[in-house]
Amino acid sequence: MGTVLTAEGLVKTYRGRRALDEFSLSAVAGEIVGLVGRNGAGKSTFVEVVSGLVRPEAGRVRVCGVDALDRRQAARALMGICPQETALYPAATVAEHLRLFGALAGLRGAALRGAVDDIVERMDLADVAGKPTGLLSGGQRKRTQAATALVSARPLLLLDEPTVGADPATRSRLLAVVAARAAAGAAVVYATHYLPELAELGATVAVASAGRIVARGSLDNLSPDRLNRMLVGAGRTVEDGDDAHAA
Amino acid sequence: MTLTLPEAGPRMTALARHNVVLMLREPGPMISRLVQPLVLITLMRPLYVAALARDGVQAGTVQVVTGMLVMFSLLSLSVVGTGILTERSWRTWDRLRTTQAGALELLGAKAIPAFGMLVVLEAEVIGFGVLAFGLDVRDPALLVLAVVSWALALLGMGTALGAVLRSQSELNVAYDIGGIVFSALGGALIPQAELPGWSRAIAPGSPGYWAMAALRSALRGQASATLRDAAVLTAVAAAAGAVAAWRMSRGQPRSRLL
Repeated sequence: MGTVLTAEGLVKTYRGRRALDEFSLSAVAGEIVGLVGRNGAGKSTFVEVVSGLVRPEAGRVRVCGVDALDRRQAARALMGICPQETALYPAATVAEHLRLFGALAGLRGAALRGAVDDIVERMDLADVAGKPTGLLSGGQRKRTQAATALVSARPLLLLDEPTVGADPATRSRLLAVVAARAAAGAAVVYATHYLPELAELGATVAVASAGRIVARGSLDNLSPDRLNRMLVGAGRTVEDGDDAHAA
Repeated sequence: MTLTLPEAGPRMTALARHNVVLMLREPGPMISRLVQPLVLITLMRPLYVAALARDGVQAGTVQVVTGMLVMFSLLSLSVVGTGILTERSWRTWDRLRTTQAGALELLGAKAIPAFGMLVVLEAEVIGFGVLAFGLDVRDPALLVLAVVSWALALLGMGTALGAVLRSQSELNVAYDIGGIVFSALGGALIPQAELPGWSRAIAPGSPGYWAMAALRSALRGQASATLRDAAVLTAVAAAAGAVAAWRMSRGQPRSRLL
């Protein structure tokens, strides 16, 4: 399995606070890395750095051997990115979003139409494909947002909490597509608070805390107690958090 | 991997098409800017013709047509700036920045429909002046130069304001007050010669002044004056565009106001 993503020693400071503090993470082709951690642990900042939105003070990022900090545009050609916050045009339809992001990913003509049709089908968006996203439900908007990242097959997928606020059907659809992309050889970094999703995906886990990765391994190898301490803190358990999510 | 123009071309085409669709889905502001100057030119022309009777009928027509053109095109900055600001408030600008499209591609594709709208607005007002009131155009080529350079300046200023300001209300203040001040200082409402001395002294600081000068010179067929005025407007466009490109390529810190 070839290494798709290598991030080493990333440092990013906001107003004197280190959002990333020697953050390092790698992912190989076909691997799904579940990036977990409390709010403020550095998950989203890491995704922003890799996707080229934020420039770190130190460290390096390589995607399929391409320096993602010096050659951002070239590196972005290798990534599908789903940011944490939903970012859609209210007046544009679902299909128009998918055509736009497919075209920006380099798809043309029949390939673009085929890719749009495929992701519409996989994400169960056929009924709303012609609707402006401003008229969609929250779950439909989440699916559309994720579909814009998944419309083209890329070696690296960066998904930042893609199921927050999503209904079970949306979550299930998305996880199926992510698993399929990984099975086809993509490396996936999946930032989330929800461990059951990672178990369903068969993901390895990277635990972020205070801007760095403090534990890495399979869900089976990381003890629940240790995960609780790292993710939830005293007074709550992972199960509590998961129950709240499932509710 | 090397990114080349053949790769950027289709991306810009897709983005520009997308921006045209967005603009046409909410046409209200555009329609408003296209209709208002025609109404005011029609109603106010007799006043300007009477006030400038000593210089002939054509002087009044030139004043009202160029004046309304400059004022309403300045007010149309709201359409350009709002297009940028909404991208920021919807977070779609950063979403686009995570794609292969570079900052210049994104800004360029955003500018194409806005530039088209500004040129259409100017062409419509001048065409209306010609057809309805016999506005005399001595040199159409010079007029095209004046129209295009003014549209570029407007585009640069609107984009820069949309990139720098933090909220729709800040934009509204900038466009409403800025549009009226720049128009008035430029002589769009009252001929320059009739303005107080202090305002004539500071008028060259207003892009509206150079737009009025460029349009008048072009209508009179004065090539060197038109070229000078168009050069100033192009410099304004370049400076404002550079500010916008610099700001937008850096991403947007989360504003409490957006």
